[in-house]
Amino acid sequence: MSTNVQDIHEDHHHTPSGLMRWITTTNHKDIGSLYLWFSLLMFFVGGFMALIIRAELFEPGLQLVVPGFFNQMTTMHALIMIFGAVMPAFVGLANWQIPIMIGAPDMALPRLNNWSFWILPFAFTMLLSTLFFDSGGPAAGWTLYPPLSLQGGNSMPFVILSIHLLGISSILGAINVIATILNMRAPGMTLMKMPIFIWTWLITAFLLIAAMPVLAGAITMLLTDRFFGTSFFTASGGGDPVMFQHIFWFFGHPEVYILILPAFGIVSTIIPAFSRKKLFGYDSMVYATASIALLSFIVWAHHMFTVGMPLAGEIFFMLTTMLIAVPTGIKVFNWVATMWRGSMTFETPMLFALAFIILFTIGGFSGLMLAMTPADFQYHDTYFVVAHFHYVLVPGAVFAIIAAVYYWLPKWTGKMYSESLGKLHFWLTTIFVNLTFFPMHFVGLAGMPRRIPDYPVQFADFNAIASVGAFGFGLSQLLFIYILYNTLKRDVTAEDKVWDGAEGLEWTLSSPPPYHSFEKAPRVE
Amino acid sequence: MSNYKKTYVTLSSIVVFMFFFSYMLVPLYDIFCEITGLNGKTNQERIVDLNEKPTNRFVTIKFTSTVAGAGPFDFEPLEREMVVEVGKVYTTSYILTNQSNSLKQVTASPSVVPGAEAEYFKKIECFCFTQQEINGLETKELPLQFIIDDKLSSDTNTLILSYTMFNTTDQLGAK
Amino acid sequence: MKRIIYLLALVLPSQILADWQVNMPRGVTPTSEIAYDIHMLMFWVTVVIGVLVFGAMIYSIIYHRKSVGHQPAKFHESTKVEIIWTVIPFLILVACAIPATKALIMMEDTSDAGITLKVTGYQWMWEYEYLEDGVNFFSKIDNKSNNARRLNSGKDVNNVENYLRNVDNEVVLPTDTKVRLLLTASDVIHAWWVPELGGKKDAIPGYVNELWINIKKPGVYRGACAELCGKDHGFMPIVVRAVPKLEYEKWVSLKKDNRVAESQNIGR
Ligand code: HEM
Ligand SMILES: [Cu+2]
Ligand SMILES: [Cu+2]
Repeated sequence: MSTNVQDIHEDHHHTPSGLMRWITTTNHKDIGSLYLWFSLLMFFVGGFMALIIRAELFEPGLQLVVPGFFNQMTTMHALIMIFGAVMPAFVGLANWQIPIMIGAPDMALPRLNNWSFWILPFAFTMLLSTLFFDSGGPAAGWTLYPPLSLQGGNSMPFVILSIHLLGISSILGAINVIATILNMRAPGMTLMKMPIFIWTWLITAFLLIAAMPVLAGAITMLLTDRFFGTSFFTASGGGDPVMFQHIFWFFGHPEVYILILPAFGIVSTIIPAFSRKKLFGYDSMVYATASIALLSFIVWAHHMFTVGMPLAGEIFFMLTTMLIAVPTGIKVFNWVATMWRGSMTFETPMLFALAFIILFTIGGFSGLMLAMTPADFQYHDTYFVVAHFHYVLVPGAVFAIIAAVYYWLPKWTGKMYSESLGKLHFWLTTIFVNLTFFPMHFVGLAGMPRRIPDYPVQFADFNAIASVGAFGFGLSQLLFIYILYNTLKRDVTAEDKVWDGAEGLEWTLSSPPPYHSFEKAPRVE
Repeated sequence: MSNYKKTYVTLSSIVVFMFFFSYMLVPLYDIFCEITGLNGKTNQERIVDLNEKPTNRFVTIKFTSTVAGAGPFDFEPLEREMVVEVGKVYTTSYILTNQSNSLKQVTASPSVVPGAEAEYFKKIECFCFTQQEINGLETKELPLQFIIDDKLSSDTNTLILSYTMFNTTDQLGAK
Repeated sequence: MKRIIYLLALVLPSQILADWQVNMPRGVTPTSEIAYDIHMLMFWVTVVIGVLVFGAMIYSIIYHRKSVGHQPAKFHESTKVEIIWTVIPFLILVACAIPATKALIMMEDTSDAGITLKVTGYQWMWEYEYLEDGVNFFSKIDNKSNNARRLNSGKDVNNVENYLRNVDNEVVLPTDTKVRLLLTASDVIHAWWVPELGGKKDAIPGYVNELWINIKKPGVYRGACAELCGKDHGFMPIVVRAVPKLEYEKWVSLKKDNRVAESQNIGR
């Protein structure tokens, strides 16, 4: 412990200013802010690609881009949104919140923390630069299935290297989170007294260190297949392309829970605060999160029911996937029970959290439908799947992130955002998100495959609606930027305890909190 | 401090273990395939302890072929269909023609349908065991000798054997 | 709100919704019918759960708010309630899993097929080979769609009949016959899918997958490749014409007569 505290103090004494401050910073709040700003930037980059996709799909026929470029856009959009927007946003929230929620001065590994962030800009610059190669960027989808991904141009080694870097960054971040949570809690804060957000992040961090190395393995095999004569995935050398899918989804399904568990933590923090009532069933929330995490390692093949698995395999993966709906359901029921007979108010963070519950649950419902193998033979690789994962990821993960920003922004900055603008942002976002993604259920069921740049005219109407929704959604996020800017500029100071119903150590600190969050550890009763 | 150290060491070992675990999935997957007949993978080993046990049970074997990529080949089974007795050895062959002017290296990859019964299709001699070479414009007869194991499930009365012919010439050159 | 629209859409007569198809087609094969039944079962299960959960939530939002002076209650756990909402969903899922498992067993049973059709995916077309009848041909997107689809083609795709859903050579299959499809590919993974004939299956280079269909109603059924296979993935449609057995046999003998000519015309 002593060395760590010393590290932190050293920085404090010669903090450089200007740009160097940000490059060399080891302070958890600075790094948290860097992550969050970076994530916002990537959200817009990935969003811009999504708008290219939706513009092309606005009406049947090709109007804007060639199919090859369209495929690069879908691939890049997914990689950027998952690894560049959602994951870094959660890591940013972890950096800001974990120390101030557990009563620690900083994260356990401040220097490592700095590296894990600064890897990201390099990795994404490299990834994005492949779009300017003659042979273009990756175009085989974010799932990188061989043999198609092995056909890619010169961009492939660069894409793989950048995914490796992203993986390393996440793993370092996860190690830091676990080390901090396990070793730096305030005296008296036992595991079962930790704020629920801390619990969900602890479990997410374990998922990260278990899942990311598997992705690293899978893409390394792709690389050696392409350049060093191995044949893990090529039938001509005795390999099997389906094996890639198994390894990929062994990582991939835990990954989708990496993208949602911290969101569960955020919603479980915000709902009680604005219901003025303690979280219902804290213990069962913790156990549900842990069992979702464990189950997530034995359901992977539900992404590949159509590859021709043996019957027993199909039944096994169908049943385990259905089982995962039970702990997920418990969470939703607990949130509703928390609101039940509370004393609710509807500030912006609460609005986003409520929308999360309804819309995420709709995504969970379609997930349950997808879990049914006989029906999945129809749903698989259609827009129905696209609708499913966007419901869990956009009004799911992304709404939770936005809710968290509104909830903690006054704490971070010491300034209060404009509630009326926040509400406007909420309503625009919620209306457009449904306009964008709900019609995708219909075209998917009616037979529109995913990952296509053009479609038969019978799907035209719903696609036009979805495209309008997408542009509305994108434009509404400019308002979010304005709100952030406006908050920093305006002169409305926030109190230390911003929300009267909120609980937790972070609210005992000043707004904004001091540079070293808790110089002296608080005692938790 | 030791507490921290323990955390780091444990976590780093999980990371390292999981990376190697992803490679361990490769042999695990093969075992899994062999047991379940996933993908109709057949046993790629030559049967050595061969003993014919005629059973007076007859099944139909259908033969089919695919040429992978833009391989300059014509590749067809000699016989499209055979009725064979379970437990007896049979011989047939595929005909491969190299339609280009240059020497080619090829590999064939077998797949049996239904996958769950693939393990009972036992090969004694097969051109798929090794890489083959074929001269420009040459036509070759590639022999196959097989036996249907008497453990074949009694509901099965048709097996389909498919070979995909891969051109591996460039791959070798490039490496 | 959206749910209501969804519901209304299902109830409305299908003619009005000609271009607004919102649901999975019931299809014309045993497998497509069972997929549809499981789909509708799960849909209604989720609707009921949704009405209950969202209903409770909305009730609470209306009546348990600070602005109407509601004071917060103090409870925050109840083992009894938690057991109930663990066990009941579990039982519901078990009840759904039983028909789904039965359906799967039925879908995977490819035995006793009447004819075998081998389907090979190429970038970007399909090859069909009728193993028993010795007919084989390639099938790719028809020229009208193919010309209209290009960037700046100057053609209005709305005027192209069956835009992106038509091919040069249709697959012809007999009705009331169990057809076993063997799926494989020559280059990358593709997936063969005609919604009205049931689910899709991947066509994987080097390996062979199976799928069976038994078409109950003569007609023309259209589908497409359903696994990203490169730049023209969106442009490899599938058309199956299902005809009575006798007519199918006539078609086969005609094809056989033309076989030599065919194979010369439709080379790759
Ligand atoms: C009740 C819980 C859930 C169930 C039962 C479920 C089930 C499924 C199934 C069966 C698929 C595969 C569909 C197909 O491709 O045929 C799928 C796809 C997907 N799910 Fe979920 N899911 C659930 C929750 C989530 C959550 C929480 C997330 C992430 C936040 C998520 C993200 C995704 C993504 C990204 C895909 C598509 C991956 C791809 O093909 O690119 N799901 N889900
Ligand atoms: Cu999954
Ligand atoms: Cu395709």
